[in-house]
This record gives sequence, structure tokens and C-alpha cells, in this order.
Amino acid sequence: MIVRLADWLDHRTGFRAARHHLFDETLPPGTGWAFTFGSLLLLGLTLQVVTGTLLALFYAPTPDHAWDSVRYITTSVRGGHLLRGLHHWGASLVVVTAVVHMVRVILFGSYRAPREVNWGIGLVLLHVILAFGLTGYLLPWDQRAYWATVVTINISKLTPLAGEFVANLLRGGPDIGALTLTRWYGTHVLVLPPALFGLTALHLYLMRRHGISGPIREREGIPQPFFPYQAARDLTVALVVGAGLAALAWQGAPALEPPADPTAADYIPRPEWYFLGLFQLLKYFPGRLEVVGAIVIPGAVMTLLALLPWIDRARSRGLADRRWLLSSLAAGVAGITTLTVLGAMDKPPASDGTWNVREQAGLALMAGDTCTSCHSDSAVAGSIDPQRVSKPRDWVSSHLLDPEMISPGLREAPPTNEYDNGAILAALARGRSGDLPTLSAEEAGVAVLFNRNCVRCHTLGTVGGKEGPVLSTIGDRLDEAGLVRQITAPLEVKPTGDMPAFFDKLTPNEITRLSRWLASHRSTTSSQ
Amino acid sequence: MEPRRSFLTRFVTAGAALIGAGVAGLAAAVAVPRRRGATHRWRAAASMFDLPPKGPFVATLTERHADGWHETRKSMVVFLDKDGDEYRALSATCTHLGCRVAWNEESGHYKCPCHGGTFNRAGQVVAGPPPEGLRQLPVRLNPDTAELEVDL
Repeated sequence: MIVRLADWLDHRTGFRAARHHLFDETLPPGTGWAFTFGSLLLLGLTLQVVTGTLLALFYAPTPDHAWDSVRYITTSVRGGHLLRGLHHWGASLVVVTAVVHMVRVILFGSYRAPREVNWGIGLVLLHVILAFGLTGYLLPWDQRAYWATVVTINISKLTPLAGEFVANLLRGGPDIGALTLTRWYGTHVLVLPPALFGLTALHLYLMRRHGISGPIREREGIPQPFFPYQAARDLTVALVVGAGLAALAWQGAPALEPPADPTAADYIPRPEWYFLGLFQLLKYFPGRLEVVGAIVIPGAVMTLLALLPWIDRARSRGLADRRWLLSSLAAGVAGITTLTVLGAMDKPPASDGTWNVREQAGLALMAGDTCTSCHSDSAVAGSIDPQRVSKPRDWVSSHLLDPEMISPGLREAPPTNEYDNGAILAALARGRSGDLPTLSAEEAGVAVLFNRNCVRCHTLGTVGGKEGPVLSTIGDRLDEAGLVRQITAPLEVKPTGDMPAFFDKLTPNEITRLSRWLASHRSTTSSQ
Repeated sequence: MEPRRSFLTRFVTAGAALIGAGVAGLAAAVAVPRRRGATHRWRAAASMFDLPPKGPFVATLTERHADGWHETRKSMVVFLDKDGDEYRALSATCTHLGCRVAWNEESGHYKCPCHGGTFNRAGQVVAGPPPEGLRQLPVRLNPDTAELEVDL
């Protein structure tokens, strides 16, 4: 029955001939494990297409919602944590496999005539893959994504003659924002995939047209068909690598950072690891020489690679005949590896995960009457869960300034000030990723006081102004009593100072609490 | 077929099936939405003194509603009515195709503007295409607040 059905179908479609053509290709004797990376790459790309399509079912490419939708995928979609993990680590797998595949092609001299065109197509494919990585990196729209893109676009400005034009094209407008996000998303899901499919099809067609290049020295033996012999090797590699990928993906993609905030100018951006080498290279070319690191060197490397089939004038594919070329390859690989490792080691100091004083103040304010008189489970507006706030920052900001604006006539607007509002915005942003800390009543109260009165001029930990001295380790220099004097009437301590007095702005009790808390900030026990 | 070849054929087929099944399983898990359990909660719909002497009272209940990664509002219109000593709450959603029915004072019927579905005051179908009566919702009087509460 099944055979008859297959016969019927074969008669109409010729699928048996197609299957024979696809799978029964004979390979040169000695084709072995080294030739499995192309298949692995094909599988990896297929996985990226499947996981990317699934992600697109949930993702919203707008600044207001991109971050929320990615968080929703990770936390609320069944299998979403694994899905995002697979797409994230799968991207790295594809880049690594593409490079390993390319190194194999160089080692075996497979780029040589008559395969020059296919070598060129492979190089273009590598760039398509990197473009996928670059555009995909922005899509979560968290701080990491946003600021890495700022750097990318600034680098693009170094393009000779057309720098501003290229940057404009990449941004889609004068600033990085909504238009950049839709542009990069459209490129990621609509422009690059057809390019990938077309070029891959062409790559495979030419591969079959010329056949596999096979081992460097031709071997005696009977040619074996691809299926099942080489297919079994391909599959073994795929299963081993796939198990590793699944183990990584099971941990999920790196946690989202807070949503993109163009005003957070102190954020230190870092690219995805496979661009770290390039990132490191730039550091050696400061100022006007930057174009050398950003464009000239990478461009020269790519040009050399593209011309490789013509540069290589050796008599044979033998390693001995191509010694100088392979030494340059080894040097190149070593150079890129070194740069990548150096780039990876040059990390900005990791934040220790505690909330800074402004964020703490915001959290304390949100828990206080100002917000909870309207926002609680039993009141008119529902309680505030920072993880569920989907309103954009500007909306929250104007709501804080004038709650009346959002719900006219509902009730009297609570008194607010710019410092409290800034703190609430900071706490909401911070609270969107990660757990909320618990603060004692004293910590909460002091954080609010510090944020209202001190943070404009003084830096504490990661936040604050630059006009006054940094207070992160003030306890080393002043004790509680000294701080009380300093805050109450600074001119009596130092007549030439700029600091205003606070005896008329704070109660003696507030000054004492603030001083006791500040005095506990010592270099050994520096918190924040 | 030589034994090595047939073993490898089975290995490749099984391995490919394994990978395919894994990916398909993930795709199904992700793409098929989770079923959400109904949340039962009493919501205050109107004060008992709001009920007009004749005809039902129209209460609109608006709630925040999680819509994936978005939060939106959902309204539900409920007719509150008194049947002897018992309170009655009817959903205003027509059971035919989901239009909102309105109370017609003159005829004493609920009428659907879309396809002419007509229900009597108790919500039973009198005329038109609706397959069943208006959905009756649990309703109770909260003695502390004198509010009528319904469970959507």
C-alpha cells in the first residue's frame, strides 16, 4: 500500500531521483570528520531560523514594548526561557562553526581553482551571519543592546567620505530610537534571511557542482556515498554539539539588563563576544587613527581573504607547498584570538548587584503613602509591580509630576518633587529586572533624605553629582558628630566652602540619622 | 545491504528523527498558548439602591487585564435586575455572535442590534438566531456595603 502510494507520488514528483541526487552523492575516499562543519553550520542556521520564527510570534519591535515582550518570552511563554537561550547561544554556535569551516577550507586548500567563486560566496555568507548577529543584538532593547548599538553606529561614522550618510542609514533618523529598532528588526527578519537562503543554496549548488575537495593528498579506495557514511559523521558531530548547545540554552540567555535608557550616559557598552576582537583593536588606534582599527585593518584582512585563491600560487594543495600562507593563517588566527581574549579580560567593574541610594529611595517612596494611597490592590489604581510596568518612561515621568493628568478629578495629586520623581523612575527601571531588595525602615528613610538633599552635588556609590566631594567612603574622614556639624552649618567648619547649610532644611533628628548612616560608609565596609 | 551500512542508516534516521522531534516539540510548546484558568472573584457592580423600579440596571465593569506582555482594560456589561426577592445578573453579550444586547423598555425585551436576537427579561430566547439564553452570572448582595457583587 505504502509502496504503491510512493510509486504514485514518485511518478508525479520524481522524489526518488531527487533523494538519490541529494543523498547518494559519492565522496572522495578519505573524506572524514574534517568535512562535517559545513553540515553543522547548515543545521545551526536551520535552528536559528526555527527559533527566530518562534520568537517573532511574541516579539514587538517598538521601544515601548520590545523589552517587555522579550521579558514575557523569557518568563511567561512555555519553553520561552529555553527558546531564547537556543537563539542566543545558537548565534554564537553559528559564528564559531562558520569560522571553523572557513579555517578547514583554508587548511585543505579547498578555495583553490575551480572553487574560487564558492569561496567568495562563503565569505559573503560570513558577513551575512555577522550582520544577523549585529542586528539581533539590538532587539532586546535593554541597556546592553542600546549602548552596543550606539558604539556600532559611531564606528560606522568612520567610513571614509560617507560616514554621516552611513550612520543615518543605519539609524533610520537623527537618533537611535524607534526608527532604528524597526529598521534593524526588518533587516534581521526580512532582508537577511532571503540573502542567507539564496547564498546558501548557491553555495550548496556549487559545492555539488565541483564535488567535495576531499583530503589534501588523493587517496586510493572506493568512493562512498554521502548517505549514510558521511551523514553518520555529520550527525554524530551535530548530536555532540547539539547536546552542548542544549545544556547552555537550558541556563537561558544572559539576563536582560534594565530597559534601554538613552539618558544613562555612564553606561559602559560591550559588544557580543565575537566582536570583542574588533572592539579591542579599536583601543590601539585612538583619535584620528581610529579609522585604521575600525575600517582599514578589518577591510584589508577581508580583501586578502577574498583574493586568497589568486594569492595562493603554490604548485599543489600540499601543506609543504603552502607553508608561508598557512603560517600567515596561524598568525591571523592567533592575533584574532589574542585580541578577543584581551577584549574579554578588559571588563568594566561589575556592579555588585546592590541598588544605589537613588534606587533605594525610589523603592522607599513607592512603598509610602504618596503612591499607595492610589496604587494598592484595594484602591483605584492597582498596586505597582515594577516588573509589570509597561508604560514608557516619559509617561511615568509626567504621571509623577501630575497624576491628575492621567486620571483627572480622581483625587488630589500628592506633593512631589523632581528628586523623588527621579528616584521613583530609577527604582522602576531597576526593578524591571531582578528582585526587589528589602530595606529596613531606617535605610529607606535615610535613602529618601539623601536623595532629596545630597545627591545633586555628592556622589555615593554609583550615583550622584560632581560638585561636592564623593561620599562613598566619607566615614573614613568624618565621624557622626563631625558630619552633624558639617551638614548643620558647613561654613562654621570651613568658611570658604560652597556647601549650603541644612539646619533650616532638615530637622535635627534627620541630620543625626543622615550623619550616622553616612559615617558607616567606610572604605572597608563600603556598601552601595 | 552490508551490516555496517544498515547500522549507519538506522543511526542516521534515528538521530535525525530525534533532532526533528526535539525541535518540533519545542515549537509546539511555544506556539500553542497556555490555557489560563478562569479567575473567580466577586466584583462590586452596583449599589442595591441603583436598581430602577422598572427594567434592569446596566452596569459596566472595567478591569485591568494582562494581555501577554501588555496590560489592557476589558469591559463587561452586565444587566442587574430583581426577580421577586432574588437578584439576577445577565451578561449583555449576545449568545449568537457576541454583539451587545440592549434593554428595550417598550417591549420589555433584550434586543440584539446585529441579527435581531430577542430575549425576555429572564434572559431566555424569544426570537431570532441565538442558540441559547443570555449567560446568567452568579450575583450576591454584600450586606456590609449594600453593593451587588457579580462573579464574571
